[in-house]
Amino acid sequence: MSIWDKIKHGIEEVAQDAQRAAENLGHNVSQGVRSQTPEEMQRYSEWEQALQQRRLPSFIQNRMFATSQGHLPWISTATAAELLLQRSHGVQPIGMVTGNCWYHFGYSWTQGHYDGWHTAVERMRLEAIALGANAIVDVRMKVRHGEGEDMDYGVTGTAIRLTGIPPATAPVIATVSALEFVRLLEDGVVPVGIAIGANFDWYMPWMGTVADQASQQAPFAARYWNMEITDLSTFQENVRRRALYDLREDGRKMAAGVLGHTSYTQMFRVPADQDNPERFLCRHISIGTAISYLPKNPPQHELLAMISLADHPLTSATDSKKDLI
Amino acid sequence: MTDSTEHLAPHAVERLKGLRSQGSHEGIFTSDLSVNEFVMVRKANFEPLGLVVGSCIYHMGIQYGNWNQNMEMDVLSQAMYQARELAISRMEQESILLQADGIVGVRLEVKRMEWDQDILEFMAIGTAIAHRSGASGFKGVGGKPFTSDLSGQDFWMLLQAGYRPMEMVMGSCVYHVAHQGLLKSMGNVGRNTEMEQFTQAMYDARELAMERMQHEAQEAQADGITGVQLHEGSHNWKPHIIEFFAVGTAVKAMENADALVDGLSPQLVIPVND
Repeated sequence: MSIWDKIKHGIEEVAQDAQRAAENLGHNVSQGVRSQTPEEMQRYSEWEQALQQRRLPSFIQNRMFATSQGHLPWISTATAAELLLQRSHGVQPIGMVTGNCWYHFGYSWTQGHYDGWHTAVERMRLEAIALGANAIVDVRMKVRHGEGEDMDYGVTGTAIRLTGIPPATAPVIATVSALEFVRLLEDGVVPVGIAIGANFDWYMPWMGTVADQASQQAPFAARYWNMEITDLSTFQENVRRRALYDLREDGRKMAAGVLGHTSYTQMFRVPADQDNPERFLCRHISIGTAISYLPKNPPQHELLAMISLADHPLTSATDSKKDLI
Repeated sequence: MTDSTEHLAPHAVERLKGLRSQGSHEGIFTSDLSVNEFVMVRKANFEPLGLVVGSCIYHMGIQYGNWNQNMEMDVLSQAMYQARELAISRMEQESILLQADGIVGVRLEVKRMEWDQDILEFMAIGTAIAHRSGASGFKGVGGKPFTSDLSGQDFWMLLQAGYRPMEMVMGSCVYHVAHQGLLKSMGNVGRNTEMEQFTQAMYDARELAMERMQHEAQEAQADGITGVQLHEGSHNWKPHIIEFFAVGTAVKAMENADALVDGLSPQLVIPVND
């Protein structure tokens, strides 16, 4: 999309907003409309300041503190089985923590994924710090699609405290359940966070793609030929490679390896218009769990191989796209 | 028992009496437990008594949010909460009639009626269970049967972990998400940036729902809430109106928990044909 397309799109959006506003004028005079009360205004201005200053609003801070001190019941997404871990491994659930970031993509949807997830995760971490937690387990990621070029990135998880370990300044973030978390800890593996690799690029073949060139040279014969469109292959491969490099670098910041669980590539062809010749957009996003471990140490657990008689529906082994994109 | 049966239809009372003749476990039970759940409930020394249901058809009041303000739609929040509460309390009444200790596997469903978008149907359904030898100490708040959305396996596991269920606790918040102003939309053109107003709306709505659920657990004198789920929904409301619904089972530590738990050593297995 060129800058002119964007401005045009923006003006259209504004016009739509204005139209909706006009439609809503009728509602505003009807009885059912309510406005913010003074308490609500106070609450919202506190939200605004807190989000800008990257801290928690006082009412959340207070609730977290009361929960961490046991004045309020703990909240956990864990199953009943995981409550056993309190005794066997000293894993104490403290509270459910959340964070989200609603993001507008101006120039890059791809970069938005990187920024959005990281902002949401950092907000969730703030809540865990307020609870005096050591880790956040069972972290789930969820997206909501907006009406325009925007999307919400949301994370939830359960903050846990490990008996005998002082509260962490930066609790680790694990996408696995409490049960799996302690099992990994026993093996010397620590899930530490969520790593994102996201990259996009534009490709403008001035003379057309390799396939176009071939059909120019042999207008009638080329369509019967088998041929690789090498320039598009290379272009796509480069985007993927850079995204995976970003994923590794994101893991490196946490001094960890990455177990990728979501991987998504998309390529578009944008036809030529007044401002630009034909061009291609490719984007790739990889999301994974960062784990820190010492490669020298082999796993400690003894394995009991068993064949489960439970019914498992047949699922594709290659489908790695989850509903996070 | 007299009070609680007043509101039930006579044939419902008859059906429930057939399920459990006064004071004994004889009789034929109904339940929607799976075979595994059934086995585990019995392993926990409980017997299923009957499927209990409660429903509530509710007309939602009308409320409009101010177009460009984030705010809770308190009329709708109250409606969503009250309707669920009514459905659950009716289900509870049925279980009291069965002299149950509690209800497991409670499912809460919300459906919209075809003919009118302001009318919603709420249904609570679960399996009433009672201790096989009539041991006391499993009832919920105020001597009423406990409610929980735990499966049969989870229920067994919870007791093994030294906790007993108290009450299914929930919190609801219906929220109007402000529309973005015209200037703000213009300002965002071509920029990658956070839409703070939207972020804040989601965050605030979720926080209010969770806060309410936690408060309910506190009222039930629970130690904590397990298996919490956070649902989001828009029950055919206008765009920009969304409900956050937090639900979980409030649990309390049992007095003899230590002795129970120390006897259990779970074995970790990895299924190789997964």
